Amino acid sequence: MSATDNKRSLIVGLFVFIGLIILVAGILVIGTQQNKFSKNIKVTTYFKDVKGLKVGNNVWFSGVKVGIIKDIAFEGVENVRVTMNIEEKNSQFIRKDVIATLGSDGLIGNSIISLVGGNAQNPQIEEGDVLTSGPSGGMEQMMGLLQENGANLSTITQNFAKLSQQMVDGKGTVGALMTDDGIATNLKSSVTTMNKVMSDANVAVNNLVALTQKLNSNQGLIHDLTTDTKVFASLRDAAAQLQGVTQTANALVENLNQTSARLNDKDNAIGVLTNDPDAANEIKQILKNLNTSTEKLDQNMEALQSNFLFRGFFKKKEKEAHKEVEEIK
Amino acid sequence: MGRKINSLLLEFANIHRFLMRFFREAVSPPYEFKEIIRQCYEVGWKSFPLIGLTGFIVGFVFTKQSRPSLEDFGATSWLPALISIAIVRALAPLVTALIASGKVGSQIGAELSSMNVTEQIDAMEVSGTNPFKYLVVSRILATTIMIPVLCFYIAAIGLFGGYLSIIGQDQLSLLSFFTQVFDKIAFIDVFAMTLRAIVFGFTIGFASCYIGYNSSKGTEGVGKAANSAVVASMFIVFIEELLIVQLLAVITPLIT
Repeated sequence: MSATDNKRSLIVGLFVFIGLIILVAGILVIGTQQNKFSKNIKVTTYFKDVKGLKVGNNVWFSGVKVGIIKDIAFEGVENVRVTMNIEEKNSQFIRKDVIATLGSDGLIGNSIISLVGGNAQNPQIEEGDVLTSGPSGGMEQMMGLLQENGANLSTITQNFAKLSQQMVDGKGTVGALMTDDGIATNLKSSVTTMNKVMSDANVAVNNLVALTQKLNSNQGLIHDLTTDTKVFASLRDAAAQLQGVTQTANALVENLNQTSARLNDKDNAIGVLTNDPDAANEIKQILKNLNTSTEKLDQNMEALQSNFLFRGFFKKKEKEAHKEVEEIK
Repeated sequence: MGRKINSLLLEFANIHRFLMRFFREAVSPPYEFKEIIRQCYEVGWKSFPLIGLTGFIVGFVFTKQSRPSLEDFGATSWLPALISIAIVRALAPLVTALIASGKVGSQIGAELSSMNVTEQIDAMEVSGTNPFKYLVVSRILATTIMIPVLCFYIAAIGLFGGYLSIIGQDQLSLLSFFTQVFDKIAFIDVFAMTLRAIVFGFTIGFASCYIGYNSSKGTEGVGKAANSAVVASMFIVFIEELLIVQLLAVITPLIT
């Protein structure tokens, strides 16, 4: 074999070798990325509708790819069994109570299975576990919500249409308001009245304002009453004095009471005078006796004037009286 | 008309005989390793610069041209996924096969037909060497081996070209690029690429050898053979591409 042949063999060998390395590297990378070589555990779940999920699609847990879909097969009517390969190294973080939901890895992306939830107290998933499937989130949920919103909107517009029709027909309060002339007139007069009432109220409020302003100003009785401490003190004194006066009056009335009570008794002079009929009779008798005495005394006095001993005295007195009358004349 | 059909059927019979002879000669000793290596060197190493450059340009340009379509969707981040599928599934084997048809096919066709014209093949037979084994088997084996190898190179170079095109406008690390690329392709794609490359390689070698080996005598026969080798190779490659795509569409769901 010549040197050239050797060189060529070497080059061809190297060339083919590198080419094969590219192939093997590619296969290894694909295998590693798609879990062909890593140890997997197989778990299953059941869906009514897998929504275009395909074998080889990814399985996510907390947004991290943990496995791929291994198999999709019908198990019964509306019951699709989905078998997943979960990487063993990641399975320790996935609990038996995770829920498998259908999702998508982007707006127009592939369908995926997303594992959500899982209580840390529960044991990790094992080979052959059957996971609970849940309602799909994300895009599907959004679409569902949109659908619901659409239905609601349609109901609302229908109601509005009914309502507006009734308004046009003059049914109901609003309809009557809009179409009945009588109500409009009433409303107008009500508004006018209301306006008047409001203006009156305005005046009243203005007066009130003025009053309160006065109250607040440093004049007037109420201000003095409410603010001047001296007035209050004098008032207190006055009240105290009044109290004293009433007490005195009270005592006086008490005494008067006692006095009047004594008047009713017979153990004193006035009481006897006013109450005792015997005493009254005696006094009547005394007065009779006095009358008789004075008559007799009159007679005695006339007799005395005629007595000679006293005649001169009386004549002198008569003359003096005459003199006085003439002087006046 | 009848004669035309007759000659066509005769041609098919010849092709079949040629094919059977190839398999028979290929498995029976003695093996012409030295000649096979030499042909591998010619087919693989000598074609590599041309095919490699073509692959790079195809990857670069394809990515560049795909960008506007994806930009309309705001999905330029999907470029790696797109070019990975395009290059690995279709472009790498096809580009390799087409360029190799032009370079290797014409070379084989011209070589063999000129040997035929100058009666070297007859001379070989007289001298006791098996010309079929030495000339045809070695060449067909060389293309069948080297076209897949070239195809692997082209896939890698084409993807790298695509990466260069992407980082011209976006920020993307090589690692992230290749992660996205390999996320989208599966074993079936690599298998399909290898299958295509092997079939295409065999086709180029076989068609070129058949045409060159059975060329008409005379100097014009050489040019005609070189031309026919290229045209026939390319044509058959496209037909095979069509068939393989159909076949893969059937077997892909069965495998995955």
